[in-house]
Amino acid sequence: MRIGLGHGSGGRQSQELVQALLGPFYERGIGPELEDSALLPGGYAMTVDGFTVSPRVFPGGDIGHLCVCGCVNDLAVRGAAPDFLGIGLIIEEGFPTEELSLYMESAARTCSSLGMRLAAGDTKVVPSGAVDGVYFSGTAFGKLRRDTPLQATNIRVGDSLIVSGPIGRHGAAIAASRFNLSVSDLESDCAPLWPALEPLLAVDGLRCMRDCTRGGLGAVLCEWGEATGKHLSLEEASIPIDDRVRSLCDVLGFDPLYMACEGCIIAACEPSEATTVLQLLSASPLCAEAALIGEVTDGEPEGMVSMRTYIGGERLVDMPFGELLPRIC
Amino acid sequence: MGGDQKVGRRAARTWGSNKMTSFVAEASRALRRIISSPISVMEVCGTHTVSIFRSGIRSLLPPELRLVSGPGCPVCVTDQGEIDCALSLLDSGVVLAAYGDMFRVPGKSGSLASRREMGFDARVVTSALDLIEIALESPSREVVFLAVGFETTAPATAALLLEASQRRIHNLSVLSFHKCTPPALAALSSDPELKLSGFLLPGHVSVILGHEPFRFLADDGGLPAVIAGFDPEQIMAGLVEIALQHQRGEARLGSVYGRAVRPGGNDKARSLMDRVFVRRDSCWRGLGPLADSGMALREEYSEFDAERRFSLAPVRGTPPHGCKCGEVLTGRIFPPECALFGTGCTPASPAGPCMVSAEGACGAFFRFYRRNGGSRCV
Repeated sequence: MRIGLGHGSGGRQSQELVQALLGPFYERGIGPELEDSALLPGGYAMTVDGFTVSPRVFPGGDIGHLCVCGCVNDLAVRGAAPDFLGIGLIIEEGFPTEELSLYMESAARTCSSLGMRLAAGDTKVVPSGAVDGVYFSGTAFGKLRRDTPLQATNIRVGDSLIVSGPIGRHGAAIAASRFNLSVSDLESDCAPLWPALEPLLAVDGLRCMRDCTRGGLGAVLCEWGEATGKHLSLEEASIPIDDRVRSLCDVLGFDPLYMACEGCIIAACEPSEATTVLQLLSASPLCAEAALIGEVTDGEPEGMVSMRTYIGGERLVDMPFGELLPRIC
Repeated sequence: MGGDQKVGRRAARTWGSNKMTSFVAEASRALRRIISSPISVMEVCGTHTVSIFRSGIRSLLPPELRLVSGPGCPVCVTDQGEIDCALSLLDSGVVLAAYGDMFRVPGKSGSLASRREMGFDARVVTSALDLIEIALESPSREVVFLAVGFETTAPATAALLLEASQRRIHNLSVLSFHKCTPPALAALSSDPELKLSGFLLPGHVSVILGHEPFRFLADDGGLPAVIAGFDPEQIMAGLVEIALQHQRGEARLGSVYGRAVRPGGNDKARSLMDRVFVRRDSCWRGLGPLADSGMALREEYSEFDAERRFSLAPVRGTPPHGCKCGEVLTGRIFPPECALFGTGCTPASPAGPCMVSAEGACGAFFRFYRRNGGSRCV
C-alpha cells in the first residue's frame, strides 16, 4: 500500500495509518494512548503537531499562529497549561527570510499572550522543490492542572455533549482561499483556548475534551462512539454553525460536521454539570456560542453517532473517509 | 465573481428556520393522507440523493412511498469500459485531469487515486478551465480532461474546448463521456418491471434544458414528473405534487423549483454545447447502450478529441464481480440488497462507483442511513 492524501484527512484512513505506524511500539508495550496529548509521569502533558497549511496566511491567522494554537489546544483539552514550546522548521531553499520572520513574530505574539516560553527549536533547509515553502513542527509541554485525567474512557451513558463554539470555520476559511471564493468576514477560528478551558478543570463531572481539528466535530464524535461502544445522539438544530460556513459547504459539497476547527472543542460531562460547563465556557468571548448539542445514550446503533436533523429526520454521522481538502493545517 | 454571488445568495436564505421545519412536517403529514397504496418515485439527481439522506427525509416518509435513486450520479452512470479506457491513458504518460469524484472509482487496473499514488500523473480539478493552465505549464506533455457528467457539466467542457481552440493549445484534449439525461429517463419510464409512479426531476439539468425535453414523461409515458430544487422543503413539495397527481390519476410536468428554471432553459449553455458536441450512442452502467445519449466532439474540434488522438475505442466493460451498481442506479434494488454492501463493498474498499462517489446511492445509504446489509439502521 502507498500513502494517499486520504491518510492525512483526519478520518478513517488517518486512524488506520496511525494504528499501523504505532504497531512496533504497541508490540513492545511502549505505545501511546490516543488522545490529543500524552500524560507523562510527574503530572505533565506533551504533544507533537505538524503544520503544512496552504495558504500559509489565511483569514484569521497564519502558519506561525496556527502552530502555537494547535499545540496549546492539544494540551488544554487534557487539562495542561501551555508552559513550553519547541518549534522545528523545514524550509525550502529560496524561501524569503522576511516572510519567515512574519510567522515567527506571529508565533511569539501568541506564546507571549499565554505566558508560554519557547524552550527548543530546530531549522533544516532542503533543496528547492523538496517542500512547499516552509513546514512547521511544534512540540508543547505543560503542567497538568487537574488530578483526574480527562479521557474518552471516562464517558458514560447520559453524559452531555457540549461544543465550545461554531464549527468548521478554519476548514471553511482555508477552502474559501483555496477555491478563490471571497466570503466576506469569514475567518478561521484559529485561537489558543487555554484561557477559556482552564476554569472548566475545576468541574468534577467533566469527563473528556477533544480538539475538533482535521475531520472536524464529526470525526471526534465517531472516535468517541467507537472508543466507548456507546451511542451518541445529536440534535442538528443545536449545533452552532456560521451561515457563511454553511453556505460555503453548500457550494463546495462539504458537510460542516467534518470541516476542521482550530479554536473549537467538544466536551463530555455529567448531565448535572452541563449548565455549569456552558456558563464557564460562555464567559470567554471565544466560546460565547457554546452549546449543548447531544448526549451519550444506551440506544442503537451502539458505537455510532446519529443525528436528529433540523427537519426532524434521522441520519447517521459516519466517520469521514478519504480526502476532503489536503493541507488544511 | 461567480462563486461569491452563489455564496451570497445562499447565505441570504434563512437556513433551518422554523418555517422550513414546519413546512416539511406539514408535507410529511400530507403524504400520509394522500398515499393509500404503494407508489415508487425515482429521484434522478445525485444532489437530490445526498440531500434526501443528509436531511433524513426517508425517515419522514410514509412506508407506502418507495423512493428510489435513479441514474443521477454522473460518476456512477459512466460505463466500466469508459473508466478502464480512461485509466489506460495514464500508461501512455499523459497528465489526466478529472473532477475529484472520479478519483476513487475502481477500474480494471486500480483507480485514478491508486494510480496517482503509484506516481502516475492524475490530477483533481474543480473546473474544466483549469486544464488551460495545466496545459500551458507543461507544453511538452499531453494533457487530457476526462469529461463526465450530464448537461450540467458539459457546458464547462464546451467552454474549455472553445478556449483551447481559440488559443491553439495543441497539447490539450478531451475524453468526452458526457451523457444526456432524457434518453435515460425514456428507457426507465418505459420499463414495465420498474413500475414507477413518477419522477422527481433534476433541478440543475432542468435549469439548462428547460421543461420541454422532459414533457414526454407525462404526455407519452403518463407519469407525473416534477422538477425540484435541492432543499428538503423543495424535495418534499415535489413529492407531494407527484403523490397528488398520482392519486388523481393525472400526469403533468410540474416544477417546484420556482424561478430558477425557465421553461425554455438556458439558451447560452445549450448553444455552447451545440457548438462543440454532437449526439452519439453511449453506454451507461446499468442501462447499457442508449441511442443518441452521449456527446461526442464535433468534426471541427476533432483535433482535441482524445479518442482520436490516442486511438481509443471504449468498449462496453464488465462490472466488478458481484457489483450491483447497475441495478442500484436503475432503481431495481436498494443498496443493502446487494450482497457486497457493507462487507465486500465499503467506502474504504469500494467494489463499484455507487459506493465511492459523493452522490452515489450506496455511499449515501452507508454513510447516512443503514449499514451492514441493513442489520443496523437509524
